[in-house]
Amino acid sequence: MTDSLVRARNRTRYPLILLRAMVVTDFKLRYQSSLLGYLWTLLRPLAMFTILYIVFVSFLKIGAGVPYYPVYLLFGIVVWGFFVETTTQGLASLVQRGDLLRKINFPRYVVVLSISGSVLISFGLNMVVIVFFMGLMRVPVRPAILWLPLLFLELVVLSVALAFILAALYVRFRDLNYIWEVLIQAAFYAVPILYPLTLVPTAWAKLLILNPVAQLLQDARYAMVTPETETIVQLYGGAWAYIVPLGITLVLAVFSVVYFKRQARYFAEEA
Amino acid sequence: MTQPAISVSGVSKDFLLPHLRQRTIKGHVLNLFRRRRILEVQHALHEVTFDVRPGEFFGIVGRNGSGKSTLLKIMAGIYTPTRGGVLINGRLVPFIELGVGFNPELSGRDNVYLNGALLGFSRREVDAMYDDIVGFAELQDSMDQKLKHYSSGMQVRIAFSVATRARADILLIDEVLAVGDAAFQQKCFAHFEWLKEQGTTIVFVTHDMHSMKKFCDRAVLIEDTRLVAEGSADDVARRYLELFTPAADP
Repeated sequence: MTDSLVRARNRTRYPLILLRAMVVTDFKLRYQSSLLGYLWTLLRPLAMFTILYIVFVSFLKIGAGVPYYPVYLLFGIVVWGFFVETTTQGLASLVQRGDLLRKINFPRYVVVLSISGSVLISFGLNMVVIVFFMGLMRVPVRPAILWLPLLFLELVVLSVALAFILAALYVRFRDLNYIWEVLIQAAFYAVPILYPLTLVPTAWAKLLILNPVAQLLQDARYAMVTPETETIVQLYGGAWAYIVPLGITLVLAVFSVVYFKRQARYFAEEA
Repeated sequence: MTQPAISVSGVSKDFLLPHLRQRTIKGHVLNLFRRRRILEVQHALHEVTFDVRPGEFFGIVGRNGSGKSTLLKIMAGIYTPTRGGVLINGRLVPFIELGVGFNPELSGRDNVYLNGALLGFSRREVDAMYDDIVGFAELQDSMDQKLKHYSSGMQVRIAFSVATRARADILLIDEVLAVGDAAFQQKCFAHFEWLKEQGTTIVFVTHDMHSMKKFCDRAVLIEDTRLVAEGSADDVARRYLELFTPAADP
């Protein structure tokens, strides 16, 4: 091997070892003392689904026009859950590991990535449940499903970028967790998770869909569950509108790297 | 002339006093309206310069609050100096504390793997040395218990046992030896002696002049954020003790 190759491998070796150890630890800690253990990863979104289904479908008849609405709803909850868990747990991650930051010198980004990693594993398990439900309800699989990996990539990039920014900010501003909690609560209703976008006046729908989470969720539902869902392409009559949500995602991603790098050397003093 | 193992040149470190630091948004907003921002700076280190030669057992001594632990953290790359810089030649491993990252909710076994990862060992590497680690700590029967059920002595033993595996050219040690009983301290020092014979550079922060004189080749004395003495362990130990005797000058 050439010298530079060896060096590149040595540089990534330590972060990878750490990342793996932290993800494993996080997963073990999260479920080890609960009776049902890992099952909670699946039971939590299912419980949430049941509640929302009873309230909004049985009583308020909101999803009546949408085919396969239960899968449509569950899928929305799981995607939203990933976004919420990655950002809220990411936000607290650096401060929680302050002890570690003060005592050894290691790449700080590993802390945030390890959280994202363990949330991603839960997300993967949840997707298995969704595929199972799709089979149960005989949802037809269409070629559009091939878009799914790209949409998940957008979801991961967006969530992890926000996690990095929030984590670095939280080291300085300890009010941020409360603010973020409220924002997340509000966003839950601003993203078409439980209601179909068709229920919203078009002008509002056009605004809501510019949120990257809303855009990718609707696209992912289109790809996976049913073509009868409003996506950004249908609302704007063309793909050009993607420039807003994708632009937001890209800007956040670049900013997160720059900002986190700049702040990282002060984490040991401030976390 | 060989390159120094560690070269500390003109290092200063200022902290903003924690209780005055604005940690809330409210604090920041209020600050915007104040004409003069209240920023009290605490100087933790002032223009510290010295070299550690390869293979040396090097002591850093000073009273509480003198800045010696800050210096160690800067050498370890944990803090960024406000001014000046540190050059390191070789792989440096800091032991600011034994058992960093230990989690009381995990078993002894899991903690060994986690701590090993922090030292840069992959799972497979820890697999290979696992029996030795447990054997050295003499804890064969308790590895599947959670760490919180260990006595503090047991925790220190397993932590130290993992730590001895670290492959380093330079070791930074911060009063690790303050913990554990006499037999354990004996074991620690025996290990450090062995490392020294292997050519490892060791930087050792301590209050204990007895062990300092016994092990260190050279040392520096930090007093009130400045380096006030540098030289043989005996000289520096004498200067340190003088700090506590009131000046007898007429």
